[in-house]
Amino acid sequence: MDYYLFIARSVTQAQHMAQILSACGIRASVLRTPASLSERGCSHAVKIRAEKWSAALSCLNRAQLQPLHIYHQDANGYNEVSV
Amino acid sequence: MIYFDAGATTLEKPEAVRHAMARAVATMSSPGRGNYPASRQAEETAYRCRSEAAELFGMNSPENVIFTGNATHGLNIAIKTLVKPGSRVVISGYEHNAVTRPLHTIPNVRLTVVDTLPFQPGQMAAEFAEALKQGADAVICNHVSNVFGCIQPVDEIAELCRRYRVPLIVDASQSAGVLPVRMDEWQAAFIAMPGHKGLYGPQGTGLLLCNHDTRTLMEGGTGSLSRQQQMPEDLPDRLEAGTHNMPGIAGLLEGIRFVRRRGVDKICRQEQNLTAYAARRLEQIDGVKLFTDGEFVNQTGVLSFLVANRDCEEVGEQLAQRGIAVRAGLQCAPLAHRTVGTLKSGTIRFSASVFNTMSQIDRFAGELQSVVHGNIKI
Repeated sequence: MDYYLFIARSVTQAQHMAQILSACGIRASVLRTPASLSERGCSHAVKIRAEKWSAALSCLNRAQLQPLHIYHQDANGYNEVSV
Repeated sequence: MIYFDAGATTLEKPEAVRHAMARAVATMSSPGRGNYPASRQAEETAYRCRSEAAELFGMNSPENVIFTGNATHGLNIAIKTLVKPGSRVVISGYEHNAVTRPLHTIPNVRLTVVDTLPFQPGQMAAEFAEALKQGADAVICNHVSNVFGCIQPVDEIAELCRRYRVPLIVDASQSAGVLPVRMDEWQAAFIAMPGHKGLYGPQGTGLLLCNHDTRTLMEGGTGSLSRQQQMPEDLPDRLEAGTHNMPGIAGLLEGIRFVRRRGVDKICRQEQNLTAYAARRLEQIDGVKLFTDGEFVNQTGVLSFLVANRDCEEVGEQLAQRGIAVRAGLQCAPLAHRTVGTLKSGTIRFSASVFNTMSQIDRFAGELQSVVHGNIKI
């Protein structure tokens, strides 16, 4: 299954994103960002099923919560998504 | 012991606070540091505490609710962010040393003190307006005096600050959990408060509500952006270096929930009723001078008094020996005493919490009567 990772500015922002997404009916789990994706070291992200990513981004934009980076995760690894 | 020193810290806490702290000690590690349950539980608890505080205090986002060690910590962050050498700062004449001492360390601060007599909020607001016409780089005002319990006109001062575009720091040490404290209404730059007074959390906790860019007071590990040597730019991590006090935060969360369930208005009325009753009992004792306007509209659950021809510390000591806990002296607020004219004598301060009762006040009045006119315990 494919996922998207929305990289947050802090664990608190990741939690806030997850809360907002839940209110939009989108399941999101908070996790530590894979080290290969943390260019500045140590961060948190929310993980969303691929089919929900566009709706999730719209939901977060309405709440003025922009992720730092967005990555698409599939069987081959991670690819950054430009928005 | 009958405890009437809630102005220093509330001693009796809701049972849920103690349970939450014990649970945190046993089950929570550090938030944001790991993928395992103990870190996740800490993260969840910390986030819930920020969220509930954000709702109580009219904050747009939990990220701008910062955990501090106490109000003094938060005030230091706020003051050292806004006040630079040579800044013009307007303060009320009731500020605590947690405000005046940090200001004292900043060179060449030009201070204007609005030293209106207590329980005259309209006059104070007018004097702040006059002071701000001269220009200011920051305004600092406590919501309630920790010495005299007088409620300062922060609504009006906040409106003046918005009009003159001057950043405002509010010290909500005596008002958080007792009066409405709303960032969305005041639009202050910072509001600082302890967790351990009117929010019924444990000592070692506080909150700083941020609505302004911040300067770090302390740098260190945040569990985030670890490769970079500058502190993170974003809140809350920017201001929360080091390991969190998770037992404290867990307790504070339950304290905030207690306040929200009871209702701030109800808590305020209860404390005002207790204080009004105390005033009525104390004024019947010959030689006792109360600092109150008698109406308890512009005063919360804090009441200072003096006993004629008696040292306030000796009276405090005598009361302590009789099982009554009050605070004598300057209450770390010499400026407030200077404003009112009690800098030399100090005062004895009674400060109530929701856990005090009228019968405790009856006992207090009886013991004070004995101290003033009766037996002296050696």
